[in-house]
Amino acid sequence: MWRGRCDLADALISFQDVALGYDGVPVLEGLVLDVLAGDFLALVGPNGCGKSTILKGMAGILEPLRGRISREIDGRPVRFGYVPQRETIEMVFPLTVFQVALMGTYGRVRPGRPVTHAERELVRGCLDDLGLGDLQRKPFPALSGGQRQRVLIARALAAEPDLLLLDEPLSGIDLRAAQVIMDLIERLHRERRLTMVMVSHHLKVLREHEMVREVVWVHEGKLLRGAAAVMLAPEMVFRMMDADGG
Amino acid sequence: MDTLLEILNPSFLLRNALYGGLVIGLVAPLVGVFLLARRLVFIGITLPQVSTAGVAAAFVWHTYFHGHQSRDVSDFMLALVGSTILTFAVILGLAFLERRGRGLGEGRIGMLYAIAGAVTILLLASDRVTEIGVLGLLKGEIIAIPDIELLILFLGYGAILILLTVFHKELVLVTVDREMAISLGKRVLVWDLLLFGIVGVTISLGVLVVGPLVMFGFLIVPPMIAGRLAVGMRGVSIVAATVGAGIALVGFAAAYRLDLPTGPSDVAIAGVVLAVVMTWQSMRAFVFRTAVQ
Repeated sequence: MWRGRCDLADALISFQDVALGYDGVPVLEGLVLDVLAGDFLALVGPNGCGKSTILKGMAGILEPLRGRISREIDGRPVRFGYVPQRETIEMVFPLTVFQVALMGTYGRVRPGRPVTHAERELVRGCLDDLGLGDLQRKPFPALSGGQRQRVLIARALAAEPDLLLLDEPLSGIDLRAAQVIMDLIERLHRERRLTMVMVSHHLKVLREHEMVREVVWVHEGKLLRGAAAVMLAPEMVFRMMDADGG
Repeated sequence: MDTLLEILNPSFLLRNALYGGLVIGLVAPLVGVFLLARRLVFIGITLPQVSTAGVAAAFVWHTYFHGHQSRDVSDFMLALVGSTILTFAVILGLAFLERRGRGLGEGRIGMLYAIAGAVTILLLASDRVTEIGVLGLLKGEIIAIPDIELLILFLGYGAILILLTVFHKELVLVTVDREMAISLGKRVLVWDLLLFGIVGVTISLGVLVVGPLVMFGFLIVPPMIAGRLAVGMRGVSIVAATVGAGIALVGFAAAYRLDLPTGPSDVAIAGVVLAVVMTWQSMRAFVFRTAVQ
């Protein structure tokens, strides 16, 4: 396995011989992976191979069954901006776009304390930055797939993250909307120097963006990491998908 | 109108029953909003039934060990202890299973409902005196509430109202997006326990005053109505509480006027309001579609 750069002092996330799974049953074992400051890492692989599981391990949503996951920067916990798959959000009672984005600030606001005016302004700024300023009062479920995805990214930015984790941000949206989302992600990575890890199976879209410098294939429970040009080359994709029966 | 003025008069004989119903109508929907939002409606119907079984068990236990004549505690306190112990035991059991990744299986909750109902009936059949008291609860007959019981209800529901207001954003976050809450470093287990504690207190106290059927009605129907009229958890909560209190007031007035049991009158009126709102919305959507075409 090629681990790429490996200076643990710079690592925001470090998997050390980690096993991840559900109900005590490991899905992935022996994982070794570092995410360094400034990285843009794409996690790719066929459906059900464990890409989202790894992302949840990074975010602390899944604790390792074995091994250790370090999530520290400068002696403090890493702040995450987590963009989940859209369908994981409970929307029995529709929240407005602003209310959804405001949740990003809840990690900083102490329990029982109201969200301050400054935090609200920050959220408005994030929504404006993503071209959603006019939609703040709209019910979240009333938006298109691409717009909802942008709201979730705005919410993640409102957390003022060290690391942005994106779980299939392109799934369920048309190609044009996917392009808009990718351009947006590229801009955020460039302008804000945000470290990002993105799960996706849209290999064509990943190939078209320069920011995707490193790719990790999740393959038969193991990780294979390398430069995007190599890992997304047609022969590599064919090898991986063919080996998985794809 | 005369009936409304009469029941709102501070010297009205059954004023405590009215105040009790109003408080439950105001606060229970606020808790119900979270049950609906977390898709735990079955919990909303099962826990009141479990709570009633706890009441029956407490009475039968007391009769078995002390006899009917030697009660050194009030019926209300006895019922409260039975209701609270069993409700919280079940909540903790369900939370434990959920924590172990077994989920809040619908089958498990449905089974609990059936068992709680059967246990209640069997306990009642074994003790005639208890049967009379608990049957009133099951029918939802809200007639006489002593001052001390009303005070306990006010204190309990007042505390719930404060907790829901102060920790609104945390409870919304763990309800709407658990994974996001964890990624933000929130202790989801703590907030889950707080929410389930609130649900437990709401149900175990409320069941003693209005019975399981009405408790379930107040937990679920006003939030369903509010969900059709408002946007956002806070908006839905405010509308649900207003609708719940309104239904409690009108239901009490109708029951008093027509000599009917109060609880079922409340639920029937809630059903009518829901039907009216749904019909109005369907008609509005039809008119809109027609205009567009």
